[in-house]
Amino acid sequence: MFQTVTISLLQGFGETLKLFLLTLVFALPLGLFISFGSMSRFRPLKLLVRFIVWVVRGTPLMLQLIIIYYGPGIFLGRNLWGSNDEGRFLAALAAFSVNYACYFSEIYRGGIQSIPLGQYEAGYVLGMTKGQIFREIVLLQVIKRIVPPMSNEIITLVKDTSLARVIAVYEIIWNGQSFIKSAGIIWPLFYTGVFYLAFSGLLSVLFTGIEKKLSYFRC
Amino acid sequence: MDGAERKKDHGELKKMSAENTKENNIALEVTGISKAFGSTVVLKNVDFSLKKGEAISIIGSSGSGKTTLLRCLNFLETPDTGIIKVNGKVLLDASEMKSLSDEEIRKRRLHFGMVFQQFNLFPQYTALENVMLAPVLVDKKNKHDARSRAVELLSVMGLSDKTDRYPHELSGGQQQRVAIARALAMDPDILCFDEPTSALDPELTGEVLSVIRDLSSRHTTMIIVTHEMSFARDVSHQVLFMDSGIILERGTPDEVFGNPKEERTKAFLGSIDS
Ligand SMILES: Nc1ncnc2c1ncn2[C@@H]1O[C@H](COP(=O)(O)OP(=O)(O)OP(=O)(O)O)[C@@H](O)[C@H]1O
Ligand SMILES: [Mg+2]
Repeated sequence: MFQTVTISLLQGFGETLKLFLLTLVFALPLGLFISFGSMSRFRPLKLLVRFIVWVVRGTPLMLQLIIIYYGPGIFLGRNLWGSNDEGRFLAALAAFSVNYACYFSEIYRGGIQSIPLGQYEAGYVLGMTKGQIFREIVLLQVIKRIVPPMSNEIITLVKDTSLARVIAVYEIIWNGQSFIKSAGIIWPLFYTGVFYLAFSGLLSVLFTGIEKKLSYFRC
Repeated sequence: MDGAERKKDHGELKKMSAENTKENNIALEVTGISKAFGSTVVLKNVDFSLKKGEAISIIGSSGSGKTTLLRCLNFLETPDTGIIKVNGKVLLDASEMKSLSDEEIRKRRLHFGMVFQQFNLFPQYTALENVMLAPVLVDKKNKHDARSRAVELLSVMGLSDKTDRYPHELSGGQQQRVAIARALAMDPDILCFDEPTSALDPELTGEVLSVIRDLSSRHTTMIIVTHEMSFARDVSHQVLFMDSGIILERGTPDEVFGNPKEERTKAFLGSIDS
């Protein structure tokens, strides 16, 4: 039995990982664009972007999943995502990417805005371009500052992927829970915790490593 | 070569350039610079000029516009009116600033170097890398040449043993000397200092003032905003006293410090001395 459960949970965790990694692939760069939008000097754009970020951060991710998956069917009369497994996964990926991009954008914005103006001015008076200043001076300082909050957020994402089961994405908790019905046992559900713990432990080690790597300077 | 020899060399050089052309001797000519932030007028019709190899000190109370003036020279602010000429050529004409491309502005601002009150070193780079960065990125110098120049400049600053230190491993005085080397690495015609010792503990000001004094004796053309009066008095050829956006009094250090004419100057100098 243990072996059957482990294999099933590993399958579910594969799905969890897929959602986690693909969310990062989309949300990390999307968040950067959103943060630029939220700092735009063009006021209407800035206000629009900040409004969207406020809505996304101010409502539960679970609700966003449901709206993104069922919304098109209800409002457009047509299920955009298709009703197969793949469609549900795509809907979940879209919801997670947008949600996390908004959280990341706030972290990026905080990081970028915390760099003292003097760093930019020192670059300007040495004749550097805006791009050179961003790449060669500001970027690494921003990264150093955002690693701790980003690592928190990313570890939260690992656990948040379990929300995808509200639209029946077969991630690890879904699989664990299914043993209650099929075999009358609950321990597989508890067992899923081990997978989360192991993975978030691994991520913690990774992020601590990055922080150490960047500890050679202070800013 | 020793100090006396160096002086003689420079003396001869100076004589030669003086014989070349008279106006060739003027490094900087500022005319009619005005600047307002909204309704606050910060600079009103500021004029001054500076000869090559000379140092000018700008003194004055807080808020009188000293920093803003330096920032205009470095294109960090755009003056509302006025003309800035460097080596006889118009560098900035406020009336046609808008038509300048970013690239043109970058090129022009390199005539000036700037040393900030807060140093503004780049924290992720060592002292050496701080000095090399712009020559490599902006002047496209090869790394090897940029490095040997940076090593040389840092040794002039008395920092030969600190080249591989990061800014947070250096004292304020050492950081400011790295910042001076960094500015010199771009070979500016005129080096500007904005209260270079104001952020330092009193016991560290001496080392920074002494490298600036050294630069002055090597005939570096400089504009120094400072509250260090005795330093200003013996390092500069000309002193400007600024008061609410105008140059209220100007002259040789002996004239301004020894025999100030304006009441405000007297009051200001009195308040500093005590
Ligand atoms: N970006 C800005 N926006 C609005 N007002 C400004 C700005 N920069 C400077 N000022 C104002 O301009 C005036 C002159 O400022 P400035 O920094 O040039 O004075 P300062 O002579 O350098 O003073 P300090 O000795 O305190 O450094 C001050 O009243 C200041 O509040
Ligand atoms: Mg100032």
